Amino acid sequence: MKHHTRTAVSVVSPVVVACVLFLMVSSVLGQTGSGDSKSKQKFSASSIQVEPTDPGDVPMPPEFRMAVYENLIAQIEKTGKFQHVYRSGDKDAASAPDLVTLHTMAKSFTKGSQKKREVTTVSGSTSLTLAVHITDHAGQTLVDRDVQGKVRFMGENLRATYDFSKKVANIVRESF
Amino acid sequence: MSMKDLSVNVSVATNSCRGTRARIWAGGLFLLTVGASLMFFSAPARGQAAPSVAQTDVKVVIGGDKIKNNSVGTLSVVGSALQFAAGKKKMEVEASSIVDISTNEDSRQDITGAAHFATMAIPYGGGRVLALFSHKVDVLTAEFKDANGGYHGTVFVLPQGQAAPFKRQLLTMGAKASVPLAEPAPANK
Repeated sequence: MKHHTRTAVSVVSPVVVACVLFLMVSSVLGQTGSGDSKSKQKFSASSIQVEPTDPGDVPMPPEFRMAVYENLIAQIEKTGKFQHVYRSGDKDAASAPDLVTLHTMAKSFTKGSQKKREVTTVSGSTSLTLAVHITDHAGQTLVDRDVQGKVRFMGENLRATYDFSKKVANIVRESF
Repeated sequence: MSMKDLSVNVSVATNSCRGTRARIWAGGLFLLTVGASLMFFSAPARGQAAPSVAQTDVKVVIGGDKIKNNSVGTLSVVGSALQFAAGKKKMEVEASSIVDISTNEDSRQDITGAAHFATMAIPYGGGRVLALFSHKVDVLTAEFKDANGGYHGTVFVLPQGQAAPFKRQLLTMGAKASVPLAEPAPANK
């Protein structure tokens, strides 16, 4: 009996360890976002203007769009890469000499369930993917990436917008 | 005779002039009193205007300006502005500066046609109610512009059924909405 238990433990524990390692690795890969093939060229700009998220054809509720927009402004301000982070429509942005503009457009959105996440830890994840474009004053694209925001285990659906904004902030850090 | 008459006339003229002056003074004083009383009565009425819609235990999820995210406070419509107060901190948004105001009921109403079929494909019934929060709360999202033209968004979470009165009130005060006010949802089974 004892022998059987030991055998079971010795078989199960590597499987558990492998699963944990797999989840950790996939989580780290997820942080970097998709479409990372472009060369990491550095640009310089003293100010950035953030435009509201374009929902496109994706049925993204307004509270979600606003959460993305406000989180983006907060996270980009935190990077400290720009002297000014302008909101869309800000009149002062017009006089900024080397202004770049951040555009986001929804590509996919999956609403999960906080309850399911907490109970099963496998199902119920919320995710959103947005196309992120940063253009210069002349409208030339400097950054063009698809970024995914997710909330996998614990936390409210809103965390997905925070996760997305953190990843965009990382792209901004790499690019400027 | 002529001199005497003149002096009498002068004195009469002086007396009548004094009377007119006194009347003017009295009139001015009266106007001043009435004006001041009106000012004193109207000023507090404006400052302490009773909110037309008010709700306690409202959470500002994001976009509360100087108020921290997830702070709980009182949301009200005071004068012609949407006001949120949490402790000593306050944020105010003029109704006329709101470019879009929506509730979670609008989100449900808005999903039609092809998008409706697309939402049906969302796993775990997520497409049924495509919203950030649970069914048991209402969400009020206000998109507005500041004095400099900068675009802002604020998301409030209110007890169920409490978002629509705010939207209705703000729409009458000049706020705009891309989705008209939803009809009250039928009671849950």
